[in-house]
Amino acid sequence: MMISIILNEWKILVRNRSIVYVSLVFMLSIISVVWMGNLQSKNQSQAQIAAEKHIRAQWDNLEPMNPHRAAHYGVYVFKPISILNSLDDGVSSITGNVLKLEGHVQNEIVHSEASQSIAISRFGKLKPSTIMQYMVPLFLIFLSFGSISNDKETGRLKLIALQGVSLEKLILSKSLSIWLYGLILLIFSILLQFLLGSSSADFGIRIGFILISYGLYYFIVVCLSTYISASFKNNTSAISLLLATWIMWTIFLPKIWGNTVEKVHPLPSRQNFISQMKEDRSKGIDGHNPTDERRSKLKEEYLARYNVDSLSQLPINFDGIVMQADEEYGNQVWDKHFGNNYLIYQKQKRLYQLSGLLNPFSSLQNLSMGFCGSDMIHHLDFLKKAELYRRYLIKTLNDKHAHGGSKTGEWRWTVDNTFFRSVKTFKYQTMKIKDQIENYYIDILSLIVWVLFSGFLIRYKIKRDIII
Amino acid sequence: MISLKNITKTFKGFKAVKDLSIDIPRGEIYGLLGSNGAGKSTTINILLGFLKPDKGEAFIDDINVTKSTDIARKKIGYISENVNLYPYLTGIENLNYFCKLAGENYTAEKLSNILNDCGLDSQAINKKVGTYSKGMRQKVGIAIAFAKKAKVLLLDEPASGLDPLASTELSTTLKTLSDKGTTVLMASHDIFRVRETCDRIGILRNGSLIDQMDTANVTTNELEKIYIEYMRN
Repeated sequence: MMISIILNEWKILVRNRSIVYVSLVFMLSIISVVWMGNLQSKNQSQAQIAAEKHIRAQWDNLEPMNPHRAAHYGVYVFKPISILNSLDDGVSSITGNVLKLEGHVQNEIVHSEASQSIAISRFGKLKPSTIMQYMVPLFLIFLSFGSISNDKETGRLKLIALQGVSLEKLILSKSLSIWLYGLILLIFSILLQFLLGSSSADFGIRIGFILISYGLYYFIVVCLSTYISASFKNNTSAISLLLATWIMWTIFLPKIWGNTVEKVHPLPSRQNFISQMKEDRSKGIDGHNPTDERRSKLKEEYLARYNVDSLSQLPINFDGIVMQADEEYGNQVWDKHFGNNYLIYQKQKRLYQLSGLLNPFSSLQNLSMGFCGSDMIHHLDFLKKAELYRRYLIKTLNDKHAHGGSKTGEWRWTVDNTFFRSVKTFKYQTMKIKDQIENYYIDILSLIVWVLFSGFLIRYKIKRDIII
Repeated sequence: MISLKNITKTFKGFKAVKDLSIDIPRGEIYGLLGSNGAGKSTTINILLGFLKPDKGEAFIDDINVTKSTDIARKKIGYISENVNLYPYLTGIENLNYFCKLAGENYTAEKLSNILNDCGLDSQAINKKVGTYSKGMRQKVGIAIAFAKKAKVLLLDEPASGLDPLASTELSTTLKTLSDKGTTVLMASHDIFRVRETCDRIGILRNGSLIDQMDTANVTTNELEKIYIEYMRN
């Protein structure tokens, strides 16, 4: 019986020209947005690869120079752009993707799309996730609402009930038929991404999770819409409530909850963060270990270790040792402050994720960004790996400066590019999603709770008197 | 076949049906005459199992509608004032769908025959219902009840808005069904159509049955006079 209802609903959908036209518009929009997104991703990716090669070639062909000078010369690293980023670019368009790594300082990532485009900075970027998160669910709401309200208004519900169909089965079948419609639009867009994407196992797993997340969300939207439509005698009230819910979910609640999260777990201001770092670096982390004292202590330690009286007698270049020690001290300072920020980010994320219990849209957004590799977790991972590479790079250069054969104070001492070529290139590998899935448990759980709740409403809370 | 025993139904203090008792034997066409708000639709909704009476019991083929709604509904066909089918489906597709909902699987030939028997011509059955007149939609509605092998047919203002020819065709179809043993309860305020179609008439006023008569014993004019007199009082 349920299959008959679903097939009948589909027959009606297919024969309704306005729905066919709207579906075609959706599909064309998805094709164009996916295609343009992929094109942009590929262009950016190619530009990045070309820039990486160019920068590496410059590094490999550096004129003979002092290693410390090379540390200031630095290198640029790029956050790789995955095809999935074009599906949902998450925080990428505002965080940037180019980072300069050099000695003494941890630079900030720059060149975000938002900083380079007025349209993106003001209106955001049109991407498939915009269509899949905002437009498709809105259309599903109208379809679900119409499906029940038409039967109510025309009295068909009576006729159907008299054929022996229970209201719960009817509403569930209608919900499933509209959900399948949403699922087809979803599979269509995901399939396009899949065809344009890579064939790695991680990519496949991510695509699978994206499909499941959106599928669950559409199920929730459709079930709640049919339930609300079936529960209200007045259709205007029903559609008003549905639209108000949609606006709350997509516009107000994310902002309200986001602001609340920032109030509960505030990050230090940028100015504060930088000044604290500077202070800790000059005065010592504990405030009692300033730079000069640390240097004197290190000097004594090395003179004793080599059993000499002055720096000029050392067989190594003490300047390199000092710079590396200062670098390591700076790393500790950075770890302290960035680590603190990272913990705050984690707390913010956890609290934000809990909003999914009130608003499944925020869970979907989190999962969509997460599985597309464009959320804060992925971004922070890139920053961490880039910082690790920076430490490797600077240590390699400082070690060369210290132990490469020069003496303390020989700032004109140089190394040729054979050494520079021996320095490894930064290669970032995006995290495997199966290792990160625990970060998304709350979002997945929220969606499941909502699915069960929607099913419960349809199964047990439909009022019978809507038929007459 | 249809039995209402002391039915009372109140909506927010307003008594829509008061202590109503009617017995309609198998094969009879019974007309429930009354003005708007007399309680005709409430009575039909109680028989359909969509409303529960505050007092009394309703039976279809000796089955208590309130207690065994699903079983009773299997025996009921229902035609509303406007039979609203799926406009994007053809007549035969609509019939096929409603048959499937009732658990019946008929061949296309059988479905065509049912529609033809109910007065829908062969050319029309493959046209979309959106193009049908009200009378044609009612024929499909009757076909749905017929295909379901309904023992009881409940009609709520079926002749309202029908042209004279369609009205006459409806009467003929109902009489044919009645001859085959179907019991019909027809609620209407159309005195002429009720007199032409029904075997017995009950007049309903303010939820109470105030008179019953056999149509064989009364002419249309007499019935009109009686009805108007009751309504004036």
